[in-house]
Amino acid sequence: MTELTTPAGTIYDRGYRHYEGPREGRGRRMRAIAVAGVRRVLGLKRNWKTKVIPWGLLVLAFGPVLAFIGVRVLFAEAADEFFTYAQYLRIVAGLLLLFAATAGPELLCPDRRQNVLALIFTRPVTRADYLLAKLAALLAVVGLIAIVPLVVLFLGNTLTAESAATYLGDNLDDLGKILIAGTALTIFYSVVALAAASLTDRRAVATAGLLGVFLGSSALANILFFTAQFDGRRWVAFLSLSGLPGRFVDWLFGAPFDPGTLADQAGFTGPGYLVAMTVVAAVAGAILTWRVLRLRA
Amino acid sequence: MMVAEVEGLSKRYGTVQALDRVDVAIEPGCTGLVGSNGAGKSTLIKLLLGLLVPDQGRASVLGHDVAVDPLAVRAKVGYLPEGACLPGDVTAADFVAFMAQLGGLPPRPARERAAEVCYQVGLEEERYRAVGGFSTGMQQRVKLAVALVHDPSFLLLDEPTDGMDPQGREDMLDLIARIRGELGIDVLVSTHLLADVERVCDRVVMVHGGHVLAQGSIAEVAGTTEPGFGIQLGDNGPEVAAALAAAGLEVRPSGEDLLVQGSSDLVRDVAAERGWALRRLVPRAPSLEETFLRLQAAHGGPVTREAAAAPTPEAAWGVRR
Repeated sequence: MTELTTPAGTIYDRGYRHYEGPREGRGRRMRAIAVAGVRRVLGLKRNWKTKVIPWGLLVLAFGPVLAFIGVRVLFAEAADEFFTYAQYLRIVAGLLLLFAATAGPELLCPDRRQNVLALIFTRPVTRADYLLAKLAALLAVVGLIAIVPLVVLFLGNTLTAESAATYLGDNLDDLGKILIAGTALTIFYSVVALAAASLTDRRAVATAGLLGVFLGSSALANILFFTAQFDGRRWVAFLSLSGLPGRFVDWLFGAPFDPGTLADQAGFTGPGYLVAMTVVAAVAGAILTWRVLRLRA
Repeated sequence: MMVAEVEGLSKRYGTVQALDRVDVAIEPGCTGLVGSNGAGKSTLIKLLLGLLVPDQGRASVLGHDVAVDPLAVRAKVGYLPEGACLPGDVTAADFVAFMAQLGGLPPRPARERAAEVCYQVGLEEERYRAVGGFSTGMQQRVKLAVALVHDPSFLLLDEPTDGMDPQGREDMLDLIARIRGELGIDVLVSTHLLADVERVCDRVVMVHGGHVLAQGSIAEVAGTTEPGFGIQLGDNGPEVAAALAAAGLEVRPSGEDLLVQGSSDLVRDVAAERGWALRRLVPRAPSLEETFLRLQAAHGGPVTREAAAAPTPEAAWGVRR
């Protein structure tokens, strides 16, 4: 048996120590709120139930793209016309609405309902900092669905083409359109979802309210257009909140509106729908700003 | 230098005057802010943090004018709010680290310091559990860790022992005493429990109805009530009290005793004249609670027989307002 002649370890009572390290500024504090927001929305470091919706939607957004690229790798030309960027963006628009409708309330409502603001606003954080950080968090995760899958699809198409350089040269404008459309959809859904979340501290109410307004407005626009007769009837096309992004995307990628639909018969083009999206986002942004700047700690 | 100073501060909520031209000076050390519910304690704390805008007056904390630079104040102050304010589905370690980052610490030091501070406030393995499953006492510890994690120079604790069981309350008071004694952080403890103040504070500010009743060291404020005697004379009934008062003594009930202020010789004389048995006569040290109740009653608080009979505090004891 070996006798220990020196201590194998020492236990220190560290006690409380003052912090003498670096202090970071406003930008890093905002980044901390944004990063915490992204984690919260994706359910990271939370129980599995909170991961189901965000990760399910991410799988739905990325799954078809990855499957499509896989098919192209395996069967080359067989998958050429599987779906276009515009078609994919229209599918993604539905996912974005669902995702934003759940993520927006997740970012804002618990802080108010659980009174966490009583702690957050006693740090050197302004309401504007808080608002911008939360918006950045939602833009990041919504953008993840709106932009990244299509960029991956574009890269997949490029790399699996007979000549990557030729494909890139012929279709580079599609990449620009993907970024423009993805950015527009990301901003539109994020701002509107946060505005809805700012009106209540109950997540379910905010989510249901936002989905109800989007789907209800679309139904109302169609009913008014196809059943009522009045001057300027075609303007009800702009009432359909859920239809605005898809029509803008169709126009951007040069895809015709589906025959016989409200969009087809109303006769407006993409810029009109983009203006409508901008107006809706501006009104939502004003509501959001007004509500958040008035939050009490 | 004063830790915090308030001059002529007023705040009104609708028809309720929460604070009315109060002047308060918080000196280094541990100060108790005492008052009944609705006295204006939380309003004063929120004004010191710049969370509320005063109707008039000014406040400065650690040399910063709160109205001019509230963010500089909040960077140096830790705050433990009253009531529930923690996210239920986040672990204590994660939330404390997040709040450290909001206090300006980079992510890695924030995590390290969160672990250290959680340990210091008595959260060991529990810090890796979601806060929603914590008892009230543990949640108060998390709130204290949040208040401490960015290494503030001044702590504002609003009802830190609220809702805690006796053991938890003792532990929290021990922690507060350590914060001041070992860590050298100035503390303002808002509470309606005077025993807590007597236990951990060296100074006190008494508020009631938006006014400051008294402020100073515990000894000064408690000393405004003269030492007296607890007595059991005859049946200790109204007739006894009236006879003692007629002899020039201040008398009020205190538990089973009558608390008498004045000369014990007068008590003896009354007992002898009336033939009442003097069964008990013990000295009683000045009590903060007795002082507070007397001042509160004199300013329109709950009126008791003894308070109504008492002279104004200023006249009787020269209390600084």
